[in-house]
Amino acid sequence: MQHVSALREPLVTGGKTLHDVTQDICYQVEAKPNLRWMAALSVALFFLGVFFYSVYRTVWYGIGEWGLNKTVNWAWDITNFVWWVGIGHAGTLISAVLLLFRQKWRSSINRAAEAMTIFAVICAAMFPVLHMGRPWLAFYVFPLQNTLGSLWANFNSPLLWDVFAISTYFTVSLVFWYIGLIPDFASIRDRAKGPIARFSYSMLSFGWKGSAKAWSRYETVSLILAGVSTPLVLSVHTIVSMDFATSVVPGWHTTIFPPYFVAGAIFSGFAMVLTLMLITRVVFRLEDYITLEHIALMNKIMMVTGSIVGVAYITEFFIAWYSQVEFEQYAFINRATGPYWWAYASMMTCNVITPQLVWLRRVRYSIPLTFILSIIVNIGMWFERFVIIVTSLHRDYLPSSWAMFSPSIIDIGLYVGTLGLFFTLFLLFAKFFPVINMAEVKTILKYTVDNGPTYNPAKAVHHAPAHPAAPGVPASAPVTYTKHD
Amino acid sequence: MATLTHQDSATAEQLVITGGARKTFITIIVAGVVVLILGILAQVMGWGAEEHAAAGEATGHLGASAGHGAGASLHEEGSSTLVKRIIVSLWHSNVFFLGVSTIGTVFMAINYVAYAGWSVMVKRISEALSAWIIPGAVIMLVVFLLGRHDIFHWTHEGIMDKGNPNYDAIIAGKSGFLNLPFYLIRTIVYLAIWAFFSYKLRQLSLAEDQLGGTVWFHKSINASALFLVLYAVTSSMSAWDWVMSVDTHWFSTMFGWYVFASWWVSGISAIALTAIFLKQAGYLKALTSNHLHDLGKLMFGFSIFWTYVWFAQFMLIWYANLPEEAVYYNQRLGGFEGHYTGIFFFNLVINFVFPFLGLMTRDAKRQMIMMKIVCIAILIGHWSDFYLMFMPATLKGESGFLIEIGIAAIFLGAFLILFTRRLASASLVPVNHPFLDESIHHTT
Amino acid sequence: MTKQFALGIFEDEDVLLHAVENVRAAGVKIYDVFSPYPVHGIDDALGIERSRLPIAAFFFGLTGLSFALWMQIYMLGFDWPMIIGGKPHIALPAFIPVAFELTVFFTCHGMALTFFTITGLYPRFKTHVMDVRATDDKFVMAIELDETGSQFSRLTQLLRDNGASEVNQKEMSKN
Repeated sequence: MQHVSALREPLVTGGKTLHDVTQDICYQVEAKPNLRWMAALSVALFFLGVFFYSVYRTVWYGIGEWGLNKTVNWAWDITNFVWWVGIGHAGTLISAVLLLFRQKWRSSINRAAEAMTIFAVICAAMFPVLHMGRPWLAFYVFPLQNTLGSLWANFNSPLLWDVFAISTYFTVSLVFWYIGLIPDFASIRDRAKGPIARFSYSMLSFGWKGSAKAWSRYETVSLILAGVSTPLVLSVHTIVSMDFATSVVPGWHTTIFPPYFVAGAIFSGFAMVLTLMLITRVVFRLEDYITLEHIALMNKIMMVTGSIVGVAYITEFFIAWYSQVEFEQYAFINRATGPYWWAYASMMTCNVITPQLVWLRRVRYSIPLTFILSIIVNIGMWFERFVIIVTSLHRDYLPSSWAMFSPSIIDIGLYVGTLGLFFTLFLLFAKFFPVINMAEVKTILKYTVDNGPTYNPAKAVHHAPAHPAAPGVPASAPVTYTKHD
Repeated sequence: MATLTHQDSATAEQLVITGGARKTFITIIVAGVVVLILGILAQVMGWGAEEHAAAGEATGHLGASAGHGAGASLHEEGSSTLVKRIIVSLWHSNVFFLGVSTIGTVFMAINYVAYAGWSVMVKRISEALSAWIIPGAVIMLVVFLLGRHDIFHWTHEGIMDKGNPNYDAIIAGKSGFLNLPFYLIRTIVYLAIWAFFSYKLRQLSLAEDQLGGTVWFHKSINASALFLVLYAVTSSMSAWDWVMSVDTHWFSTMFGWYVFASWWVSGISAIALTAIFLKQAGYLKALTSNHLHDLGKLMFGFSIFWTYVWFAQFMLIWYANLPEEAVYYNQRLGGFEGHYTGIFFFNLVINFVFPFLGLMTRDAKRQMIMMKIVCIAILIGHWSDFYLMFMPATLKGESGFLIEIGIAAIFLGAFLILFTRRLASASLVPVNHPFLDESIHHTT
Repeated sequence: MTKQFALGIFEDEDVLLHAVENVRAAGVKIYDVFSPYPVHGIDDALGIERSRLPIAAFFFGLTGLSFALWMQIYMLGFDWPMIIGGKPHIALPAFIPVAFELTVFFTCHGMALTFFTITGLYPRFKTHVMDVRATDDKFVMAIELDETGSQFSRLTQLLRDNGASEVNQKEMSKN
């Protein structure tokens, strides 16, 4: 028997029973696609078309299609790369770090967040691969002996570390996500009517039956994967930050970059999770699983990480002055007051100031405000990367080389195109896969369900044991079992 | 012998400090004094003087290469090495103990805002840990006012005056931040904030014991959130002021978080260690191996976190190899005739390798003996981490161990007396905490 | 080869746990328990030993770490040494990131493969389950019967007394 304080807010509302959970979540998978979903998919597919066109132009005509110049030779491509990788961090944070910290509310959002991670990493990977100019030679980044000699990959290069970090992160997230999906696929398989569905979900579910021993190992594996994913998620953005910080470019070389990039990644990732979940819960009618409480908690994490990022901005600025190194001092003054002041101002407003509104209870429990806030943070975090990358580069060591950057139409096409790719993948996922981890929600259901807004007392009569007597008070089980601690 | 068995409910428990315990604390202080006197004798009589001479020479070289004029500063200030060592040690141990003491309140505040239930069982320990803030603050101010010239290069006469032979352009450029009145105001503000919130949270907690109800819980959450915001800023700034400005020229944006990571993991170890001692003395009946397991996980995880921060800072400086930054590691990795090389690697072993391997298995985290060993190792390890932060800049190659350890032992004894007095002044179990039941039935 | 099973269907995890205890206390061997989610404490009740997967994970990690260090030191230190950025050939701090990533890579994938193998999870055309509701909302306790199935009525009584909402008999191939 679990002991839950009466002070805790319920995590699932509507007096749901175990069967209701299966019903509500499998419904989307089993039902015919609805019109809203089809409409959304068409929009996403249009932008996917834009993506393919831009890729075609980039590959056929070369990198000259982008707006890069000799001084600013890294711009939107790497900005988008870092932005997407950052977004990818929230999924693993929710599934790994929050699992280790026993934040049970994560159960309702971890599946979708992990899917988001995987799709975001796919989008991110597009940019470095396309930037190679000849993407069909991308395998050169792996430590294979060069055909012309016995030269190996350069392990001193942070860009090579990225290769290892991103591929490890992608495959580990995929495995972690898939292991979590197996029991839910089994649920769908056991409900499936048609032969095709039964066959596909039997293949997907790997013959899962839910035996006690399998569950015991499943839990062990989940914990260990969470244990190794936690430092992994830190390491990935750390290594991304080292692409910049190992250099001697003023504004890039600063020791706070690793943890500050990680905080920023979680910040933008939570913003994207909020954006997606606010839409998903309405489209798929999941208000009982993703409650206002969940939204408020995600808002709080967003605010905390946003504040950490804010402290890091101020630290950087202060230490640049304190260091008395004039290059550092100039780089930071130029960021705030130079020709790119507007990017810096957008970053500060979106990332540091607006998230502080979450301190107001009214804001963090309001769906429209949260939605707007999450979009603002996404924009702000894009600007953060833009500020770091472009403003540090555009003032070269030689004043005669100073330059500005303006994106070409292909730059823009690739960026919006990856948004199309991302949403296409997410919409397909949302339709054919269970968007909420049913098994995990069922684990916490007994002691955290509440008779919320969609509660139907007539239905509850049949399932008497599973719903509590009063809101927030744990249901008392017929048998008190306290031996197994 | 205490056992880690399960309890169904908890009642108030009152700690009684036995004569034996009191005697132990006094013994620690006396032992510290003896070691200190031995250290002073060793310094005065010049035992091992040859090493010192050699180290002194090295100082000259390094000082020059670092562009500090650091070698010169040794002679320009009046204090003998002996006085310097004592003053720097006082500052070193005080920064360590004060930081760990504050972590008590930080830990509690984080648990409040995170709605953590399991940690209620050790809440009173973290409250009591903060008993050292006020005495620590007093010592800090006194040592700073009397001995600042031996610790902080930037307080030297004329260092910021153009035309003075001591003039140093870089340090003069920092005068807007590193000047006496502003420094003192900042230090007093940090200490006042920490002391106030530790007092406030303690009062709320005691009121909850007396009066019950959830109103105290909600008030504590508000106070904790405010405290954490202020602590996030003050902990970094205090690290710049108290630790980073010792190496006056050097700078690293990571430094504030690095110092915090060190304090934080030490603070959690101190809490775990106290919990084990109390359990073994027959208190905290509802504390089980599950609570130890969680504390062990935190120690394990944050030891890795500390290493992460350490490595990120080291690697970036090593990789870019800019002279103004790299000098920090040059001094520690082979400077002063290798005076600090040994402790540099010892620091990594005891703070990373040992806790990592020691606490990796589930069983290790659930056994009191293993936890105890690792807790003590982490506390010693992070004390020596601070040793490594302070000594090269202040004493160059002239630091030693006897005086430093003697002073640390005196601090430890005094710390324990105040800590246990506060532990004994209220029930060890916060009987009216709304999450107490969750903590009692906590399983991992 | 097929076997006869008695299936006790339970509605609640705490009832199930209690029943598992009592059934085992009555000297009946439980074949397996199927549940829609992991039931906290069922390992102890069924006497399932703690999984040794963490040990495997440790060794997978060690393999990854050794491989990564060997690879980098061999390639850049011995096979084709070059000076890059004024660093030594074997620049250990720069090798740590890749060493860490490969440690995680090996741990994770080694663990996942081990898990799939020992638990017998692989894609199948068709899956035979004891009771389809075990992946929905019911907890199923399976007890193996002998050829004649003669103990069924006694077991039915035992399971009913311990809170089973229904007791069924089912023939399954045992795998």
